[in-house]
Amino acid sequence: MTQNTNSSSHPTASLHEGLSPLEERVGRWRVFVGVGLALVTIVYAWAVVQAPVDSSQGIIQKILYVHPPLAYGAYLGFVITAIGGFLYLWRGREDFDRLAVSGAEVGVLFCTLMLITGPIWARGTWGRWWSWDPRLTVTLLLWFVYLAYLLLRSFAGPGPRTARFAAVYSMVGLVLIPLNYYVIEIFDNRSMHPDNLEKGSLGDGMGWPFLMGNLALGFAFVYLLLLRWDVEARRLFERRREAEQDVDQ
Amino acid sequence: MNIALAILWKDLITEWRARDRVIAMLLFSLLTAVIFYFALPDQRPETLRALTPGLLWTAYLFAAILGLNRSFALELENEALSGLALAPGGRGWIFLGKMAANFILLSLVQVLTALAFAIFYGIDFGSSIGELSLTIGLATLGICSVGTLLAAMAVRTRLREVLLPILLLPALVPILAGAVRATLSVMAGEELPFSAIQLLIVIDGIYLVVSFLGFDYILDE
Amino acid sequence: MTPPLLQLEAVEKSYGPVTALRSTDLELKEGETVSLLGPNGAGKSTLLRIAAGLAAPTRGKVKLQGHAHDRQAVGYLGHATLLYPELTALENLVFAGRLYGVQATEQRAEQLLEEEGLAAVAHRRAGGFSRGMSQRLAIARARVHDPRLLLLDEPFTGLDVPATEALTQRLHDLRNQGQSWLLVTHEVQQAASLSDTALLVIGGRIVQTLSGAELNAETLGHAYKLALESRS
Repeated sequence: MTQNTNSSSHPTASLHEGLSPLEERVGRWRVFVGVGLALVTIVYAWAVVQAPVDSSQGIIQKILYVHPPLAYGAYLGFVITAIGGFLYLWRGREDFDRLAVSGAEVGVLFCTLMLITGPIWARGTWGRWWSWDPRLTVTLLLWFVYLAYLLLRSFAGPGPRTARFAAVYSMVGLVLIPLNYYVIEIFDNRSMHPDNLEKGSLGDGMGWPFLMGNLALGFAFVYLLLLRWDVEARRLFERRREAEQDVDQ
Repeated sequence: MNIALAILWKDLITEWRARDRVIAMLLFSLLTAVIFYFALPDQRPETLRALTPGLLWTAYLFAAILGLNRSFALELENEALSGLALAPGGRGWIFLGKMAANFILLSLVQVLTALAFAIFYGIDFGSSIGELSLTIGLATLGICSVGTLLAAMAVRTRLREVLLPILLLPALVPILAGAVRATLSVMAGEELPFSAIQLLIVIDGIYLVVSFLGFDYILDE
Repeated sequence: MTPPLLQLEAVEKSYGPVTALRSTDLELKEGETVSLLGPNGAGKSTLLRIAAGLAAPTRGKVKLQGHAHDRQAVGYLGHATLLYPELTALENLVFAGRLYGVQATEQRAEQLLEEEGLAAVAHRRAGGFSRGMSQRLAIARARVHDPRLLLLDEPFTGLDVPATEALTQRLHDLRNQGQSWLLVTHEVQQAASLSDTALLVIGGRIVQTLSGAELNAETLGHAYKLALESRS
């Protein structure tokens, strides 16, 4: 019978000294991305303002400089959630779970903004707020899935079990994306939503503000993702410190 | 495999003695059938034919949620779920046992509910009983697969039973779409649409695999 | 040299921000009985659940007989009985036996009911059992696959005096048969009388080990008191 009392070395001592190298690096990247975001946003705003007004849709067409990039961000966020969840189940590192929750929150934010900007454009162009168009339907369902994901996280309490629950649920969410498209493919081919915007579908002088929109929201996406990741890391760090103090008293 | 059979036996014997789960699910879906009377615009045959598949499947979904929640609520008493988690080997077999029990109990409720719909609304399922059974069986397999996985998580959160429908319903949309289309066609006397059956088989396969593998990660603390 | 039955190497467990168990090493040899003594929230139950394979350690390794953890080798009795109230005593044991792939499950279940003095109520539902009977059935359940290591988490909780005495006697019998166990308790008397070694667990750490001649109720009680005082 042997055992180690191990009272001298403090297993969480490194946390008291500050953030891990990865966390420090993320903090630095975030500053660079933030500066990039600020610069691009200025150019983007100017580009949108000076872009020609669409001859048939009018001013409402300018929503297209923000709506599609939001959609890319939303899907990117959800894919990041699933990748983070998968890696967490595989490797068990907290960093991956943090990536997953960051992806989900930023994805939900982008998705919400997309679901707001879309109907505004639709009201102006189609004459009604909503249509049960395949792409709209799938996106709305996905929005519900990831809200449920966040709800699951907040009600399962802290700890590794929550991270595993969330990771497993994100796998279900991931398989739902192709499944929902498959359903719509079979039953409902009527689509009003414009196809993915290709260069040809944009009028003269509209291409580069659209490009800037993608760039600016891309920067915003990465910035928010890193920020969220950082917040989660610091929150855990603070909570651990408080828990340690409670024990040490 | 033996673990799955043991759990199936245990769940069925428990339900046989308590009978609470099936009775609650059945009363619930029968009440739904009655409430539909007030939701119907009229009683004309074409109205009934158009609306019954959707109403029937809505009743099935809510009965399923009730039953799935109960399936794991009874594993929380005396922490019996820990007892299952202690069993050696992969947890996927635990999933299969629980899923099979849910499938059998839900199927029972579905048959009786369909009977009630037939009586109340004068719908003749008899001529297409085979196609209908296939549709319901395939859809129920998918519902119980992903439902068993998510119920095992939901009952162990602070929201407990409330969380399951929020987690589960978005995942059931593709199944519902396929099942309602197939039921509509069958009730209209048409052939079973191959595309819908194919869809249900694909979903069943995916959900079975995801849930079987996923169950390995959700029983530990 | 045969590897120890149970070996924990630098095992740590945290639940989110809360660290329940700090870097802990522990070895338990075949045939050895060990008690974990400590106040509530000290990390005893966490340690036991990790040993049972119910919780994965955040860091560190758990080995059974030098190999990766195998749930087949351990029998666990926690704060709850793990029993199904709708099943009879016999059915509960048969079910548990089937989970572990026990051969001739029925005979094994009947034999265990005999040993625990529950043969007369074999066909009664576990839901109607008294706390003492439930606990005896729960111990039979934990032993259904004849595990090399028994993990008992405060098995005396809620038992009246006769039931406590009966359980103590049962544990002495099992110990004489060579059963190894890890017993969690907050009673000095039980820790001293029911084990070869007692470990004091406080604040997520094993702070002291007593065994052999120094392991009696008096010295253990004194050490426990000192350890608790040095914390506060």
